[in-house]
Amino acid sequence: MIRSVSHRETRAWHRAHRRRSRRAWAIMAAVVLLTTLLVALGYFSQVGWLALGDALLRTTYRLALSYGLALFLGVFIALLVGWSPFADALFPVFDILQNIPSFALIPLFIYFLGYTDQMIILFAVSSIVWPILFAILTAIKNAHKDLNDAATVYGATGFARVFHYLLPLSYPAILTGSIVGIAMGWESVIGAEIIAGTSGFGAFIKSAGESGVTPATIAGTFGILAIVFVVNRLIWAPLIAGSGKRYAE
Amino acid sequence: MPNSMQNDPHAMALVLSRVSARFLDEEERELYVLEDISLSVSAGSFVSVTGPSGAGKSTLMRVVLGLMPHESGTIVRNFSRPAMVFQNYALFPWLTALENAAFGLQMAGMPKKERERLALAKLKETGLAGFEGYYPGMLSGGQRQRVGLARALAISPDLLILDEPFSNLDTITAEALKADLMKIWRSYGITVLMVNHLIPDAVELSDQIIVMGARPGRVVKTLSVGLVRPRDARGSPFFKEVDLLTEAIRAVS
Repeated sequence: MIRSVSHRETRAWHRAHRRRSRRAWAIMAAVVLLTTLLVALGYFSQVGWLALGDALLRTTYRLALSYGLALFLGVFIALLVGWSPFADALFPVFDILQNIPSFALIPLFIYFLGYTDQMIILFAVSSIVWPILFAILTAIKNAHKDLNDAATVYGATGFARVFHYLLPLSYPAILTGSIVGIAMGWESVIGAEIIAGTSGFGAFIKSAGESGVTPATIAGTFGILAIVFVVNRLIWAPLIAGSGKRYAE
Repeated sequence: MPNSMQNDPHAMALVLSRVSARFLDEEERELYVLEDISLSVSAGSFVSVTGPSGAGKSTLMRVVLGLMPHESGTIVRNFSRPAMVFQNYALFPWLTALENAAFGLQMAGMPKKERERLALAKLKETGLAGFEGYYPGMLSGGQRQRVGLARALAISPDLLILDEPFSNLDTITAEALKADLMKIWRSYGITVLMVNHLIPDAVELSDQIIVMGARPGRVVKTLSVGLVRPRDARGSPFFKEVDLLTEAIRAVS
């Protein structure tokens, strides 16, 4: 069997991936050790663990819901625009819209939705959607002309073009857009919770800050780190590894 | 493949009459890439389009396939299932060799089992048996080009366009692919239109060679290759034809 150069490249990529993975596990192990040490030393004695757990769960739930909505919206709009002949004209419009600082819009969300769950979730959607949308639009725009032509020549038109060409073409971009979007989503959900001050991790650290319980904020930050780590290791890392293998040129 | 057009040697698979095409460059200037192109391609023949860089050879293929609009002139397309093999392979990286080969059949709505059986047969025919589960990134350039050829043959094309199919391949791989291509062309009887800048390849494979001039792209000469098949690429008649074509291209470069 003829072995191509790309096999060597794939092996190098996997080695680098394993190194990154080992580093991530080492950092997380250090965080867990530090937390255990601080618990043993009684640093977290004033922390209400149940309240913190509830706050983290609520925030994670809101983020997951926001991400789901943003993913659907981002993919839908991007594919629609990428499919249409107006993609080039619409790109700068989206570029202007995404440059509006999302927190500048929060009064608008509060005005229409009040200090509610919906406000927090939809506000987070408004910030998560952009990286997903732009990553997909850029992937479609930068696709090699020959690949577009091949899809057309071999009959990928109409909805078939969306499902069998544009969507799989955008898959790596959906992954990277999602990772960036979720990072922004944490910020938006927690920020909106701090402003709303009703429930969730944002409200928890706001209340902890006002009461001067710094260990609660630190414990919460460690908790968020643990969630981000687990999600990255269990969901994103395998998806990116699979995409790297499948989409290698 | 049964095709009434191919039974009639005088039938034309493609006729272009005074076709011009243009596009806007990055500075919004109008550039004529093709000007007054007139040519005809007999059904079942092997035609090469050659010429210097910038002659619009690949653009001409895109216009023929309707992938790019033309500004003026008439195109008569007497084909219904065109296929194309690309210089850069243009394989879908998320699909395996088998799925790539079956792509056109899938778009035509063929059931999975049937299209996989057909695509597998085409992969075998192009020398890729055993590679059906490989992604394009795991294949060498020659193997990728063969997947591209299998994808094209799977739809039973009546016109096969080859856009510089050997330019990214090493000599040994290119020679092997050329031999397979000849075999396939003879057994399928399809019309082949090949863009190629390698003069010996054009002489070895073609019935007719269209020489294009550059900026704007235009047809400057059409040559019929009178050599009998199979052609001996080491004989003096072959080199005479190569010299003739080289001179023609040199004159327009």
